[in-house]
Amino acid sequence: MTVLEADCAVVGAGPAGLAAARAAVAAGARSVLVFDRDDAPGGLPRFCRHPGFGWEYSRRLETGPSFARRLLGDLDPARVALHCGATVMSLQPGPCLEVLSPALGLATVRCRGVVLATGIRERPRAARLVPGRRPERGILTTGQLQQMVARGVTVPGSRLAVVGSEHVAFSVLLTARHSGHRVVAMIEAEERPMSYAAVAALARALAGVPTHLAARVVDIAGGGCVEAVEIEQAGRRRTIACDAVVFAGDFVPDVPLARAASLAIGRATQGPEVDQLGRTSLAGVFAAGNVLRAVESSGFAAIEGARVGAAAAAYAAGRIGWRDGATPIALAPQFAYLVPQLWAFDDGGVAALPASLRAGQDLAAARIGLRHDGSLLWQGRKRRLLRHRRLRVDLGELARRGPGAIAVEAGSWRAISEG
Amino acid sequence: MTGERYDVAIIGAGVVGCAIAREFSRYRLRAILIEALSDLGGGASKGNSAILSTGSDTPIGSLECRLVTRGHERYRAEAPGLGLPILSVGSLTVAWNEAEAAALARMHAEIASAGFRSAELVDREAVYRRVPALAPGAVAAVWEPEEAIVDPFSTPYAYALDAVVNGVAFRASSPVTAALHDGEAWHLATPQGPVAAGLVVNCGGLWGDRVDALAGFADFTIRPRRGEFLVFDKSARQLLDVVLKPVPTPQYRGVLAAPTVFGNVLVGPTAEDVDDPDDWRVTGAGLDRLRRAARAMLPALLEHEVTATYCGLRPASERPEYRIVARPDRRWITVGGIRSTGLSGALGIAEHVAGLAFDGMLPAERKAETIPVRVPSLLEGGARPWMDAARLAADPAYGEIVCHCEGVSLGEIRDALASPLPPRSLKALRRRTRAMFGRCQGFFCGARVLAELERHARRAGRAAQ
Repeated sequence: MTVLEADCAVVGAGPAGLAAARAAVAAGARSVLVFDRDDAPGGLPRFCRHPGFGWEYSRRLETGPSFARRLLGDLDPARVALHCGATVMSLQPGPCLEVLSPALGLATVRCRGVVLATGIRERPRAARLVPGRRPERGILTTGQLQQMVARGVTVPGSRLAVVGSEHVAFSVLLTARHSGHRVVAMIEAEERPMSYAAVAALARALAGVPTHLAARVVDIAGGGCVEAVEIEQAGRRRTIACDAVVFAGDFVPDVPLARAASLAIGRATQGPEVDQLGRTSLAGVFAAGNVLRAVESSGFAAIEGARVGAAAAAYAAGRIGWRDGATPIALAPQFAYLVPQLWAFDDGGVAALPASLRAGQDLAAARIGLRHDGSLLWQGRKRRLLRHRRLRVDLGELARRGPGAIAVEAGSWRAISEG
Repeated sequence: MTGERYDVAIIGAGVVGCAIAREFSRYRLRAILIEALSDLGGGASKGNSAILSTGSDTPIGSLECRLVTRGHERYRAEAPGLGLPILSVGSLTVAWNEAEAAALARMHAEIASAGFRSAELVDREAVYRRVPALAPGAVAAVWEPEEAIVDPFSTPYAYALDAVVNGVAFRASSPVTAALHDGEAWHLATPQGPVAAGLVVNCGGLWGDRVDALAGFADFTIRPRRGEFLVFDKSARQLLDVVLKPVPTPQYRGVLAAPTVFGNVLVGPTAEDVDDPDDWRVTGAGLDRLRRAARAMLPALLEHEVTATYCGLRPASERPEYRIVARPDRRWITVGGIRSTGLSGALGIAEHVAGLAFDGMLPAERKAETIPVRVPSLLEGGARPWMDAARLAADPAYGEIVCHCEGVSLGEIRDALASPLPPRSLKALRRRTRAMFGRCQGFFCGARVLAELERHARRAGRAAQ
C-alpha cells in the first residue's frame, strides 16, 4: 500500500481548500497534499460560468471558473501536490487518511494537520418531501444542472422550473442562458425572494421570469421525463408545464467523512464545531469553508480556508497546541448559529476565523454585543436584519483577553413580523 | 402470427417472473422471459419494504403462507451463492397498549402453533434492550429472530441473470398486446415481434389481469394498493437494528420501520387502493402520515435527513390470497395476486409453478449442469472491488469513486453496463449499482453517471450499426 507523508493534508479543492493549501505554505508548511474526489479542482464555483465569485478574498468579482483558476495559480507546485479523482475513504486519529484514487490505489496519508474543506451540497427533492411523481429525468439540483451543462450531458427539454430563490437560483438563470434553456418559473416558499433584492431585480430584468412567492410544489407530473409542476399559492393551485425542475439552494454541509470520524457536529450548523482557528474536536483535524455551515460566499469560504490553513501549518510546526481550555461562546436565543462555536485563549498569535453569525428570525432595531466575563468588548447596531444574511460581530478583541466566559448577546430586538 | 417457438414463455420480469425463469433454466427447455418495461423489476418489485418475511404474517394455512415459508427457506439456502446479502436482523411486533398486547398474545399463539417456533413473546424491558431509541409506551412484543432484510433490486436481477446465463431468452420493452392459441401453441404479439410458446406463465403483476384477459380468462381483478415509503439517511441506521412492526389488523399490516442492507432506515408503507396500476405518486398526505408514524415509533428518526421517498404498488386482487391458476387444457398458468410477498415468496412460488407445469404441461428433464452466477454485493460496509488490492491494481477504474454517497466506482458502473442484462435506463442503472441512490440524489454524481450512460448508449448504438 502507498504511504504518503506531509506536514498538512487538505480534503477538498474548492475555494476553502485551495486557499488553505496556499496559506499553509505561506505559514511555513514544507509539504501540503490536497485531495479532491472530483476529476478536476475548483469545487462548486468551477461549474458556475458567471460573475459573482471571490470578492471578499481577492477584491475582484470573477466568474466561478476564473476564481478557481486564480486560487490554483496561487499554489506553489514545489510544496503543494494536488490529487484529483482521489476520495478520502476514512479519517482516523493521528491524523491519518485513507485515500483511494486510480493513480494512487489505496493510500495511507500521515500528516500533522488535516484541513477538512468538503463544502456543501443542495438538499434534493426527496429531502424536501416534495410530493408527486418521480420521473427518471428532469428532477435536478442546481449543482447537477450546472455539472451537466459543463460536462456536455443532455439536459432534457427547454423549460426549467426553479424551486427556491437564494442566490444560487439566479445562478440557474445564468446557466440556463448559457445552455439555451428557458426558466419558466421561480417558485419560492417565502413571501419574498431570499436573495438580495438587487440580484433578484437584476435577474428579473435580464430574464423576465415569472416569480411565484409564498408558493409550494404540490405535485410533479411525468413518466420518463418531467412534464409539469403543480404549485399551490394562497390556497389556489396552478400547473406550470416544464421539462425539468431544479431544486436550488437549501444547502447543507457535506459531512459524512466528519461524522464517520465522530467529529462533534453542531446541531444548528450541521457542520463540525470549531474554535476560532478551525480546530475540531479531533486533534490535528481542522475544518474550513462552507462545511462549517451553509452557506457563505466563495470569497468568505476562501478567507476561512486561508486562516485555517495558516493555523494548520502552525500546528504542524508545533507552534500551537490543541484547543486547550476552549470556551463555548454563549449565544442569545435570537441567533441561529455562530461559527466559531468555541474560543481558545491559547491562539499562539494565529489569526482567527471571521465570524459567521446568523439570526434565527427576521429582526428590526437590533443591537449585537460581545461580552467577556460580563464586560462589553464590542457592539454593533443594525436597523433591519434578515435571517438569511450574515451578521457582523467582531470577535477580535477576545485575542487580547485571558480565559473567561464569552457571550454574544442581542438587545432591543423585535421581530419584523410583529413590528 | 409466427415467430420463434419456445416451450414456455414467462410474461413479466418482476421478482416472481424472474424466479420462475430461473427455475425453468434448470431444465432442458426453450424458455423466454418477456417484459413490458425497458428493464426487469420495474413494476411492483421495485417498491417494497425489502424484508424477507418468514411467512408468519401471512394467513395461516393459506397457499401464500406455504409458499412464502418455502421461499424464505430457499432464499437462505440459495441467495448467498448468487452473491445476495441477507441480514438476519429479526423483527419486533410491538404492542403499544393492553388491547394490542392481547391481540399480540393471540397472534403469537397462532403463529407458534402453525410452526413458527422461533417467535417469542417478550416483555417491555426486552423490547427496549433491542431498541433503546424506541418511543416510550411499548407494552410487549413478539420477537421473530428469523426475519431478515435483503436487497430488493439485486434479487430479481440475480434471478434473471442466472436464467439468461443458463439459456433463457430475455426480451424487454415487449408488452404483450394479443394472445391467440392456434391449437398447438400460444402466439403472443409484442411490439418487438411475435413469440410462440407451448406454455404461457402469466406473471404480469400489476397488469396480470389484463394479460389474462388477452387470452380470454377473467378469474380475478388487480386492485393496486399503493404504499408510500420514506428512506432516512445512513446517519439514522444507528437508531435501529431490527424490523419494527405494529400489531397487524386483518385489513392492514401497518407502517413498519426497518433498516436496509444499504445502510438506511425505511418507514412505510401506507396502504391506499388505487384504480391506476401506473399511479406511482408520492403524496403530501402519505408523507405526513409516514412522518407521524416515524415519530410515534422512533422519535429520533426525524432528526435525520430523508434520503428518498418512493411508492410501491402491490398487485393485490379482490381476495386476500394468491391467485395461482393452472389450466392444463389451455397450456396457461396464471400467477396473480401476489400482493406484498413477492420478494419473500418468489422462490417458493417458482418451485410451485414448475411443479404445476411439469404435471403434464412440460417435460421435466433436468440439466446435468448449470453455470453459476454471482451479482456484485451492494451491502453497506460489505466487500467492494477497491478493497481487493489485486483487483484494484489490475483495474484502476475500481479506484475512481463516482457516486460518493454510496461509494460506487466507475469500474462498477462500467461492469453493470457490460452485463449480459444491461440496465437500459437511468433508474435501472441506479438499481444495479446504487449510483445516485444516496443522500445527494445526484448533486455530486448525477452528471457523471449520466455521461457514462450516454457514452455507453452511443457505443451500443455504433455496435448495433
